[in-house]
Amino acid sequence: MSEETWYKMLAVSLALHIVVLGAFSIPVKWGSSRKIDLSSAYSVNLVGSAGNLGGGSGGPKVAVQSKPEPKPDKPAPAIKEKKTPPPKKPQPMQKEDDAVSISKKKAPPKNKATREEVDRLEERIKNIRKKTDYIDVAKAGSGGSGRGTGAGMGLPGSGGGSGAPLDPAMQKYLLDIYEKIKNAWNVPGMAQKKDLETIITIKLRKDGRIVDMNVEKRSGNRVYDESVLRVLRAVEPLPPIPSSLNTDSLEIGFRFLPGGLS
Amino acid sequence: MVLSAGPMAKAVMVILLFFSIVAWTIILMKYRQYSRTEAEGDRFFRAVKDADSFKKLISVYRDSQDNAFYRLVLAAYKEVTSRQKDNPGRIHKDDMPGIENMLRVAISDESAKLERRLSFLATVANTAPFIGLFGTVWGIMDSFREIGVRGTTSLAVVAPGISEALIATALGLATAIPAVLAYNYFLGRLKRILSRMENATIYLINILDK
Repeated sequence: MSEETWYKMLAVSLALHIVVLGAFSIPVKWGSSRKIDLSSAYSVNLVGSAGNLGGGSGGPKVAVQSKPEPKPDKPAPAIKEKKTPPPKKPQPMQKEDDAVSISKKKAPPKNKATREEVDRLEERIKNIRKKTDYIDVAKAGSGGSGRGTGAGMGLPGSGGGSGAPLDPAMQKYLLDIYEKIKNAWNVPGMAQKKDLETIITIKLRKDGRIVDMNVEKRSGNRVYDESVLRVLRAVEPLPPIPSSLNTDSLEIGFRFLPGGLS
Repeated sequence: MVLSAGPMAKAVMVILLFFSIVAWTIILMKYRQYSRTEAEGDRFFRAVKDADSFKKLISVYRDSQDNAFYRLVLAAYKEVTSRQKDNPGRIHKDDMPGIENMLRVAISDESAKLERRLSFLATVANTAPFIGLFGTVWGIMDSFREIGVRGTTSLAVVAPGISEALIATALGLATAIPAVLAYNYFLGRLKRILSRMENATIYLINILDK
């Protein structure tokens, strides 16, 4: 038709497209709205009173799931003394309160290295506890390299009276993995000061091979996420799961913060 | 999601968006053009039935805007007057074929005008899904290469890339579907309008014959 209507219709068409595209792009906020399903993972608070556990920001840092052992899903009430219930025997909460200090009870059947390890952990935890009532694992982890094995922070069941019946062998094993990954991981330079967080769960076979890797939460920064995935590839194979743990596969969750890993 | 897509995906999306905008412009234009022409047709047939001579019909159209049926009448009028120059009075029987031919030419002119740009809708309808598919294939190719680089087959790593890739197909379909619908709809309407125009020429010739 005439030129005048041609331009008019073009304007109408453009407006139509802008409206439709706008309507579609508003609800599409990717990445941030993804749900994290941690229901299958078991969260443990390590140091300090368990009362902090529910308290949000400091939240669970390490999620460990050992398939053959069902565990009680709630942390015990605040306990001052370090306790670890006997392994492979989920206990009701009240009993846990009465439980005797595990490190001593459990230690004898283990080898010497494990015993020393546990003692050292205990000592370190006491030191840390002196400084703060509750320690954010991530922060501790960031300063951890200078303090040997990071004093076991980030390792589940080592303290705090959590319900996880993790024995020292498990602690040591997780500590090994933690160290290996931490040493191999180069935090991308640009990520140092950013508030990034990537949560990944890996599933280990008995021989230490990673059979499955799941990104539970992306940081939203591609480079950062890729560096995390790269390091997990690089450290494979991880040390084999100790036979004393009596498990064929193990699911471990890691939280990668620019300051450190937990 | 769209902004983080690769350059090829972006190019495909831009092309499809352009197609979509042009297609909708044409759809709106054609809708208006056809609606107007149909209204003019109604007016013409009313006028033709009322008028008992060609002169009367012309007088109805004297103050009319430029439109398809008006141009048809005008073509007949011009032909008639040119023939009457050397032979004033009634139209001679031998002149009728010439006038008929003139009207036929006028109709084919009008049908060309009505059909104009309609073929672009058909082109969009046919090519847009393929362009979208191309973008998707390209995106999935990228995704698979990334799987190779990262070494993870975790769905969380692979899924975003494929999801991005699929946007291209979605856009292609979103562009093509309205174009197909509109093309078929307008084709039907065009047919109707053209048959009415044919009828109009018959009416015109009859009225000239009187």
